[in-house]
Amino acid sequence: MLEIVNVHKNFKTKNGVTNALQEVNLSVKNGDFVVLVGPSGCGKSTLLNIIAGLEKATSGQVSKSGRPILDAGPDRMVMFQEAALFPWLKVIDNVEYGMKIKGTGKRERREKAIHYLKMVHLTRFASAYPHELSVGMRQRVALARALSMDSDMLLMDEPFAALDSQTKSILHAELQQIWGATKKTIIFVTHNVEEAVLLADRVIVMTANPGRIKKEFRVQLARPRNIEDIDLTSTVGQILGELKEEVEKVAKAELDSDWSLENSSFISRPDTHLGNGI
Amino acid sequence: MQDLSIPIAAQISMQRLFIGYSISLVIGLLLGVLIDRIKYLDEALSPLLLGVQTLPSICWLPLAILWFGLGEESIIFVIAIGSIFSISMAVVSGIKHVPPLYIRAAKTMGAKGLRRYTSVVVPAALPSIISGMKQGWSFAWRALMAGELLTPTSGLGYVLVMGRDLHDMNQVVGIMIVIVIMGVVTDRLLFGRVEHAILCRWGLSKS
Repeated sequence: MLEIVNVHKNFKTKNGVTNALQEVNLSVKNGDFVVLVGPSGCGKSTLLNIIAGLEKATSGQVSKSGRPILDAGPDRMVMFQEAALFPWLKVIDNVEYGMKIKGTGKRERREKAIHYLKMVHLTRFASAYPHELSVGMRQRVALARALSMDSDMLLMDEPFAALDSQTKSILHAELQQIWGATKKTIIFVTHNVEEAVLLADRVIVMTANPGRIKKEFRVQLARPRNIEDIDLTSTVGQILGELKEEVEKVAKAELDSDWSLENSSFISRPDTHLGNGI
Repeated sequence: MQDLSIPIAAQISMQRLFIGYSISLVIGLLLGVLIDRIKYLDEALSPLLLGVQTLPSICWLPLAILWFGLGEESIIFVIAIGSIFSISMAVVSGIKHVPPLYIRAAKTMGAKGLRRYTSVVVPAALPSIISGMKQGWSFAWRALMAGELLTPTSGLGYVLVMGRDLHDMNQVVGIMIVIVIMGVVTDRLLFGRVEHAILCRWGLSKS
């Protein structure tokens, strides 16, 4: 059980103080698959980092199983957008690294590493170095490393954002399977709504300036889910509607004041020479 | 009488280089780590190091002779002082440029303090440390030759001066060639290989 109560986070910048998170309240039950979506700058990654213990909230409480989160720890494994593998270690040693820090015995460590490498289908590359793998394979190794720690919570910060769409969809399917098999609590950050609906039990929509939770959608579709599924698409549509306002708000703050989504999407000068010169 | 045969001179020179370089390795690495760990030292010493490093190490020789006398110790001092700073600066910059992502990943896996330092920070900084060591070696080599040219003791540099005094250009050019060969051999065989191996393993260059 993860409890986030009244969390605020301010960043000091040159132009004063930025409100990255304001009055965020969220509770996540064990085994939940929660996805945070929102426009860039809505503080979703910041929130994840606070849960991970990599950043500190300006005020408010974050606690896991009743204990406040003060520091990063192996009970909350994080997967980043980049694999963050250590280039000087072989794949298998990378997977073993966390267990080594934890003090797991040599033999058990190796067995578990192989078990989790099998789960992500990379046993053949156990003794390769990370730079010999593709980006998708590295992300698989990072997943194996995260799973090997036996943490009950997995925090994922846009882990598939840098992958091509084929690799991404394969990993989506596998992540759903792994979640089903391991029953971990997963908190996943993305800006891709389809990805969110495909994976989540709960989709949390966040808003920017200040970053806060706007609305929560419960997705109760059967698993394994398919991206072409009609129910899934309609849920995506609902969430996108909710987000559109937010995206527009962010764009307005960044662009010139005469900008608006409706004007810009209208092509004022259509192709007038249709068929001309065929 | 000094024995001026090349092998003995080369051996003496290498011995000095070895001692001087070892001293500078130990002090340089320690100094680098200390500067990284202690912020106060960083602020106090970093600008100073940069300044001292631009000073050619042979400029220390007059002071060295005052402190240690004409002889072995002053040459070794000049060798050591020539490479200490480039090694420690490489350590500091190597550690500063460790990708923060590695540190974050290590943190979430529960690696703390010294363990995190030795298992993540040092290996991540190693390529830069090795190139600093290589640079330090070439500084040390130059300092050695300059030191031997200017102090009448023994070694390759001294034999070179001897050749000049005797107007024996064969000896002068011969010693120069020996110096070049020794420099190339250590650079290629020792540092070149180590550096290449590390860069390949780290995925920073293609094998």
